[in-house]
Amino acid sequence: MLKGHLDMIVLAALAAAGSAHGYAVIEEIKRRSGGAFDLPEGTIYPALHRLEQAGLLKSTWTTADSGRRRRVYSLTRTGTRALVERRAVWKQFSDAIGGLLGGNRPRETPA
Amino acid sequence: MIPDYLESLARELDFDRSLSRCVRQEVEDHLWEAVAADATGNTPQAQQRAIASFGDARAIAAQFAVVSLARHTRRAAVAALLVIAGDLIAMKARVAWYATAQLAITDDMSALRGLVISIDRHAFWMSVIIGLGALAYIHSREIPAAFYPAYRRQLRRFSLLCRATASALVVSVLSDGLLTALQLRGMELSMEIWVAILTMAIEIACVGVLLLHIRRMTVRAASTAALVKT
Repeated sequence: MLKGHLDMIVLAALAAAGSAHGYAVIEEIKRRSGGAFDLPEGTIYPALHRLEQAGLLKSTWTTADSGRRRRVYSLTRTGTRALVERRAVWKQFSDAIGGLLGGNRPRETPA
Repeated sequence: MIPDYLESLARELDFDRSLSRCVRQEVEDHLWEAVAADATGNTPQAQQRAIASFGDARAIAAQFAVVSLARHTRRAAVAALLVIAGDLIAMKARVAWYATAQLAITDDMSALRGLVISIDRHAFWMSVIIGLGALAYIHSREIPAAFYPAYRRQLRRFSLLCRATASALVVSVLSDGLLTALQLRGMELSMEIWVAILTMAIEIACVGVLLLHIRRMTVRAASTAALVKT
């Protein structure tokens, strides 16, 4: 379930953080989800590379205070648009499931 | 402990040297930062926890292998079109050279020449159309998160398109070779001949590059499948 939404989670974390390296993205995901997602941290990196290849992210190499080389990612315009779309789809899905499980009618979408 | 882990991860990613170097640096930064953030400081236990949280090196390498394979398939599609363009330039350059050098086209064997020209033209345009199809096909697909059966089917279709492109191009180059032989037969070794041979060599090299890309893609797909399976 979580793996299916990993891209959206990573995009959302990067949108919140502005630009960040892998470790900071993971920390942002943990912080914003209240530590709910227990995914091997290494899984984030192939996702970052894949999203960059798809043109949703861009990256630059910098040097950290520690002197180590650090790859910093940020959203591209396409990535920002993709996140907006995925958020809308997720909201629709979440409203529908909420309606089913909670017995509430999902909010009517404007015509 | 961390250097050993990085070494094993880099080894697993050895199928793509540049990716291996880049991932190693990224993961090294991650692990040492995790250790620095650990309450116990830089202890073996902190390093062990950082590695355990990061995950199994082979499993992570398998995920990277899929990303790497996707990148290579897209490159192969672009390479196919560049190769076709290179082939066309060499072909046109040779014809232009014949005109510049005022090499007369002999009338004998005109029926054979006409047939070969027709085969050449059809094969070349077939390679262009199939190559464009392959590029459009692979670029219209999302980069997968894992080596799903659906992705394997995509790869098979794409590989088939690339092979069809290469086959059509081989036919075109063979036809060009025959036309060049017909044009140059009986001529003494001279500048005119060497220019024609050079353009033919460029055409053959172009096809070789495409075949190399297809072979690399096949090998990469097989190694990814093996990595995912274990």
